[in-house]
Amino acid sequence: MSSARTGPGDRPGDPPSDLDWVRVHPITPVVRGWKVIAVLVVIVMQQFEFDVSNAARVARVVGFGTVGLVALGVAALGFAYATLAWRMTRYAVDDDAIYLHNGVLFRRQRAARLDRIQGIDTIQPLLARMFGLTELKIEVAGGADSAVRLSFLRDQDAQRLRNELLARAAGLRSGALDDGPAAEGATQGPGTPAPAAPERELVAVPAGRIIEGLLRSIGTLVALVLTVGMVVLALAVREPALTLSLLPAFIGIGGALWGRFTGEFGFRLAQSPDGIRLRHGLLEARAQTVPPGRVQAVRLRQPLLWRSRDWWRVEVNIAGYAAQQDAGKETVLLPVADRRQALLALWLVLPDLGVDDPARVLDEALSGSGPGVGFVTSPRRARWLDLWGWPRNAYLATGRALLARHGLVTRTLVVVPHERTQSIGLRQGPLQRRLGLASVDLHSTPGPVQPRVHHLDATAAGELVTAQALRARRARASAGPEQWMRSPAQPPGDALPAGPGPDPGRPPGEELQR
Amino acid sequence: MSAQDSSLTSPFDPAEVVWQPVSPRLVTVRLIPLAIVLGVPLVAGAVAAVLSGIAGLWVVPAVFLLLGVWAAVLVPRQVHAIGYAERDDDLLIRRGVAFRNLVVVPYGRMQFVDVHAGPLDRWAGVAAVQLHTASAASDAAIPGLPPAEAARLRDRLAARGEARLAGL
Repeated sequence: MSSARTGPGDRPGDPPSDLDWVRVHPITPVVRGWKVIAVLVVIVMQQFEFDVSNAARVARVVGFGTVGLVALGVAALGFAYATLAWRMTRYAVDDDAIYLHNGVLFRRQRAARLDRIQGIDTIQPLLARMFGLTELKIEVAGGADSAVRLSFLRDQDAQRLRNELLARAAGLRSGALDDGPAAEGATQGPGTPAPAAPERELVAVPAGRIIEGLLRSIGTLVALVLTVGMVVLALAVREPALTLSLLPAFIGIGGALWGRFTGEFGFRLAQSPDGIRLRHGLLEARAQTVPPGRVQAVRLRQPLLWRSRDWWRVEVNIAGYAAQQDAGKETVLLPVADRRQALLALWLVLPDLGVDDPARVLDEALSGSGPGVGFVTSPRRARWLDLWGWPRNAYLATGRALLARHGLVTRTLVVVPHERTQSIGLRQGPLQRRLGLASVDLHSTPGPVQPRVHHLDATAAGELVTAQALRARRARASAGPEQWMRSPAQPPGDALPAGPGPDPGRPPGEELQR
Repeated sequence: MSAQDSSLTSPFDPAEVVWQPVSPRLVTVRLIPLAIVLGVPLVAGAVAAVLSGIAGLWVVPAVFLLLGVWAAVLVPRQVHAIGYAERDDDLLIRRGVAFRNLVVVPYGRMQFVDVHAGPLDRWAGVAAVQLHTASAASDAAIPGLPPAEAARLRDRLAARGEARLAGL
C-alpha cells in the first residue's frame, strides 16, 4: 500500500508527493491575531496592576498619539505573524493518514494515521463562531499535544472533512479529497463527498438540570458554609468588612461553576454509525465524535446531593484526551443524567454487557450493596479500613467487562471492557496485609477514570489478577478491527455504510427521550 | 498469625511462577546516594556538637545515624523483594516490602521499552528496564539488571510485543 503511493525520489518517511495540499481559511489570521492583542493588553494591564486611572495618567504623560501608534504597531505585528503562520499552515489527506505542516520559525510536519483516530472534535470559539469558522481537532492518542488541529476551516468544510475522515478511518473510502483513482473498496464514486453518518439523538440535558446539578455540588456547598461562617464571625466581632475577604474565594468558585455551566450547556448525546456524538457549549460550541471501541473505561458517579434526584455523571477515558488543557470538557459523556439516561450512555459504549439480566445487574451495581447477583465484595474484616463502605466495595466480571463499584457517600461504578485493560496491578499496604486484604488496579489510559477494586480478600484478589489477565487476553484476541466498518469476516469491499459496526440494535427501554 | 501467613503471601506468589531476582549490586547503587544525603548532615552535626560542646546537639547526628541504620536494613530487603517473571503472554513484576505491589503487563499492550543506566548504575554494572503501556498508571520498571540481561530482556520484550501487537 505504501509502496504504491511512494513515488521515485521520495525519501522514506516523507509524505507521498502527490498530495493535494490545502490551506486553512484565510480569515484565520484575523481570528488568531486578536489573541496576540488580548495577551498584550493583559500584560500591560498587569504592569499597571489593573488600575485604569494609573494607566491613563501614564498615557497622558507619554502622549496618547504615541500610545496609539505603539498599539497599532503591535496589532500590525500580531496580524502579520498570524498571517505568516497561516501561510505556513497546510494540510492534506490520503487514504491512510492526515498530514499537517505548520510553524513559522520552528517548522513542524505531522502525519497521523487515520486508523489510529481516537476522536474528532469540531470546536467553535466565540470569535470564530461569529465568522462561521470551526477548528477541527483530530486526536490520535500520543500523549500530550498529540492532536492534529486544523484551525480554522469554514463550518461546512470542517463538517465535510470530519465526515470524510471518519469514513476513511472506518475503512470506507470515498476518494473525495484526492483525485487519485478510487480505491477498490470505494462505496461511492470518486469526487462524491462522504455523507454525514445518520445520527439519532438520545439524550438532551436541559439547562435547568445542569444548573440544579451545579447547585447541588460541593463547590456550592463550600461557598454556602463559608458565607454563613463568615457572616456569623463578622456579626460576632462587629466588623462587616470582614465578609469582603471572602471575595477571592467566591470569584474562584464562581469561575469554576461558570466554566462548568458554559462548557456543559445544551449537552446532547447522539448515536451514529461513526460512534458517539456529543454536542455542548454555550460560548464555545463543541461537537465530539468518538468512534466505536475508543472508550477505554466508563465511570458513573453520584455525589450525595444528587441521590434524591437519582442523577449521575458519566465520564470516560479516551486515549489522548487527558493530557490536554481542556481535558475536563472532553471526557464527559453526560454531565447530569437520570439513571435511565446514564445507563443509556453506558449502553452506547458497551452494547452487550455479557450478562443475562443487565437491568438487575446494573441496579445492583449502581445502588446495591452486598453480594447480590454475583458481586464479589470486600470481606467483613475490611470494615477496619472502610468502616461502612465495605459492602459497597465489589466487583463483577461479566463476559464482556469488569464492573467495579465503591463508595457509600459518593456512589461510583466503573466499567472496563475486558479488551481495554492495559495492565493489571495488585497492591497491599501493611494494614491490608495484617487483615489479609489487597486491592486490584486495572490500568487504563490517562483520564478521569482510574478503575480499582478496593480491599478484596487477598487470595481472591490474586485470583482476580490471574483471571482478569486471561479474560483480557481472550477479549483482545477476538476484538474487532480498528477500522470499525470493516468487520473481520467480510472482505473490505462488502462493508456497507448501512449497518453500524458493533450492531447497536435498539437501546434498552422503550420510553426513550428523543 | 503464622497460619494466616501462607494465605497472605500467596496473591504475590501465583502458582507456577519462577521469580527472577535482580542484581544485589542494586543495594550498593541505592545506598551510596543515601549515604551521601545522610552522611553529610551527620558529620556536620557531630562537628557542631563537638565544637560547641552542647550535649543536646548530639541529637542531630543520632537521628541521621538511626535513619542510616534503618535504610541499611530496609534497602537490601527492598532489593531482595524485587522480582520479575516472563510468562507466555505477560510479564510479571513485583516489589515492595511493607507496601507490596505486583504488575501484570501483557506483551501485546507494550508501547515501548526503555533501558536506562545512570553513572552510578554503569559503575556498578546494572541497568533498568522500563515498560510503557498506553496507561500512565502501569508502573512497570525492573531496576538492577545486569546490562546484558537488560539488553536481552529489551529485545525479547520488543519481539514478543510485536508478535502479540494489539491496538489500544
